[in-house]
Amino acid sequence: MKKISVEHLARVEGNGGISATIDGKVVTEVKFTIYEGPRLIERLTVGKTPEEDVNLVPRICAICTLSHKYAAIRAMENALSVKVSPKIHLFRELMHLGEMIESHSLHIYYLALPDYVGFPNAIAMASQFELEVKIALEMKEFGNHIMKKASGRYIHGENPVIGGFGKFLTKEELLWIKSRAVQFMPFVLKTVSLFCELDYPDCPEDNTIYACCNPPQNKYGFAGDEIILSTGETINKKDYLGLTNEFVVSHSYAKHSRYKGNPYSVGALARVNNLGKRLKGEAGKMYGKYFGPRWKRNPLFNNAAQALEILYTFERIPRLVDELLKYPEDPPVVKYKAKEGKGTGIVEAPRGLLIHSYEITEGLVSHTDIITPTAQNAEDIERYCYIAAQKLLENGEEDKIRDRMDLVVRAFDPCISCSAHMAEVKKALPDDWKEKLKEVKKKGTPIYVGVGKRTHSDDGLGIELALKLRNRGMSDVWLEYEIAQRGGPWKNKHHRPLVFLDAVDFREEPGKVVLLPLHHVFSNTNLSHKLLPFISAEMHYERLNNSYILGIQPECTKEGSKISKPVRLSMVKVLEQIKN
Amino acid sequence: MEKDKKEKLKIGIYELTGCAGDALLILDCEKELIDIFKAADIQSFLMAKSDNIEGGLDIALVEGSVSTEKEKKELLDIRKRAKVVVAIGICACFGGIQAAFRNKKNWEKNFKEVYGDIQMTHTKPVQSKPIDAHIKVDYYLPGCPIDKEQFLSTFNRILRGNPPELYRFPVCVECKWNENDCLLNKGIPCLGPVTAAGCGSICINHNLPCVGCWGPVEGANLTSEFQLLREYGFDHDFIRKKMASFSGTGIADFLAKIEGEKR
Repeated sequence: MKKISVEHLARVEGNGGISATIDGKVVTEVKFTIYEGPRLIERLTVGKTPEEDVNLVPRICAICTLSHKYAAIRAMENALSVKVSPKIHLFRELMHLGEMIESHSLHIYYLALPDYVGFPNAIAMASQFELEVKIALEMKEFGNHIMKKASGRYIHGENPVIGGFGKFLTKEELLWIKSRAVQFMPFVLKTVSLFCELDYPDCPEDNTIYACCNPPQNKYGFAGDEIILSTGETINKKDYLGLTNEFVVSHSYAKHSRYKGNPYSVGALARVNNLGKRLKGEAGKMYGKYFGPRWKRNPLFNNAAQALEILYTFERIPRLVDELLKYPEDPPVVKYKAKEGKGTGIVEAPRGLLIHSYEITEGLVSHTDIITPTAQNAEDIERYCYIAAQKLLENGEEDKIRDRMDLVVRAFDPCISCSAHMAEVKKALPDDWKEKLKEVKKKGTPIYVGVGKRTHSDDGLGIELALKLRNRGMSDVWLEYEIAQRGGPWKNKHHRPLVFLDAVDFREEPGKVVLLPLHHVFSNTNLSHKLLPFISAEMHYERLNNSYILGIQPECTKEGSKISKPVRLSMVKVLEQIKN
Repeated sequence: MEKDKKEKLKIGIYELTGCAGDALLILDCEKELIDIFKAADIQSFLMAKSDNIEGGLDIALVEGSVSTEKEKKELLDIRKRAKVVVAIGICACFGGIQAAFRNKKNWEKNFKEVYGDIQMTHTKPVQSKPIDAHIKVDYYLPGCPIDKEQFLSTFNRILRGNPPELYRFPVCVECKWNENDCLLNKGIPCLGPVTAAGCGSICINHNLPCVGCWGPVEGANLTSEFQLLREYGFDHDFIRKKMASFSGTGIADFLAKIEGEKR
């Protein structure tokens, strides 16, 4: 078995890694690992005042610092019924746009572009793209300038508070920002063309669900009180748990999320997919020119989506400044009396939907829940890396897997400190499945389900294995058709692993045994089986997360009752291993 | 050209657990960044480049607190390879906000409340501590995040083999330079008197109280600040928690003392 890993994902913000384990022609496992240690932020805010919480939570992540501040303030104001005036809302939008410019331009030019033009870093890239690197740096600096002016400093500024701001910008400062934004427009338009015309590889591509904030009044934007999905559904912010369904995984300190059992993506690509039609002006024209079906299936287009959002932001700033100037009076910080309440605040961090939710009791925080974008993207990061690795392996391009996974992870613009460094390809040891089965057994006594047709030679191996297990007196062994009649054996037994026994065409030598997580099977068209759609519809995400398929490569699945020799030999080994 | 490269000092910039804000701030030195890359041989800087070399170093800048076994191992390795180790940012200097649970049992309980009984397969968690809990640190550059001007001056001095010169006075001094009205005099709980200067009294410049994010100033009169806030009518627990928010292990003795007094 071979493992390809990028242990230190370079050029992402924070510390994480991605690894793929390869057993012959099958990728058996992809793990997105966050080495960033546990910080227990949700716990250490408990017992603090709402104001102190708003000081602390931006420290989750330096690059999304203002998004965290913004989401926390919105949640606290929601919990404590604080109403703020239009100028405060507009000024918050301005500070947030600064962060979008800073984060997006840093990501697309400095972290992502070197990959597409073949340089190890942006400084080296400057030899060929001197002008782009220089102006991109100025653009990022402009974003930083807005953040610094609006929040007090580059990173972790304390000017935004519950109820308003310590200080506002003067008219002259606002007008300077407006004129500077206008000056950048020619470069911004070039940026959109550059990143929308990059040659993004077509692997990986697959459908997913996109989720983002739904800004009010049918506008594009980065905050709202409702979540909108690419399925057309909307979810009120207070019901966010119905979207995120967080669960702990053993290979990362970032929790993972699934919606109705499915991975989903958040970020610029999600926003452009869900809200792109609302873009107006030059951004609307560029959307019309470049947006296409591949944007719905290919995470690498997140770079293009970020470029488009930079354009939206630069068009919005001058209008926003004009709106702000309609309010010459600086409103004081709104005082509040409430000591109790529950509230949720959602905003779009540059890398996607960010949720803060609090409960206040006797004036102190009694419960905190924070769901970061990278944690929500973790499942899709693993899935797209799996698809890329499996496809490249099938095409005989194993040497490309490592770099491609790196490219995919980076496209998600993971802000790993918010949870969570990099890519690794591992070769499986011989009989990898035996070790994996031992690990599965450690999680609980497995429930086995035999799958297949006994009338189709080797396809009967699953049923036969299950029957043999039963004959040996094992309980909780099921057959495919029994599930159809009686419902799944997984109900109320979520803590116990579920192992499907089946003939699976891995395009390997007959008799090859592979054990892999069931959700990988859904991402791999070669492996999809007639039974699986019906299982997936019924499966809860926790169940899915604890389900596996133990597959044996058949020699023949034509009509007939004989099981081939290599498969029979493997079945004996499998029986022994299950028994041990 | 080759010769020139050999004469440059070898630098590594590392991130342990934290928000990556100090490394990001170094990237935010936009105009000076290219000069930094010219003046020194940046061997390893994960956030900025992918062709990193992990060998002998003249200077290692380390951000973040130690929160996993893996980080502890990495840090010990950095110490072995580097002639000079500089702790940058409050997490590396004092443990940061994640060092709020000073008592091990309390930390374990809270860890369990977040992650349940799961056995981590990638790296074992450890109670969050500043880097000098594990290695000898040569210089400290506090801040949350570090300040650009102070970083550039410190980096310059270390490059030339000189020790950094940080402000050895509290935020109040900078606050006076900026001609702000004292918030403590208005009864607002401000931690300026006990917090190291270097930020330029940024919060008070915005009419907001100092939250203490640079950690304690050398010789901070914590007892006096505590009593003053008590006289203003603030609750014992409120003041203790406020003072402990950022400084972590930096004021552990003081916190143990006032906790003892309460009992």
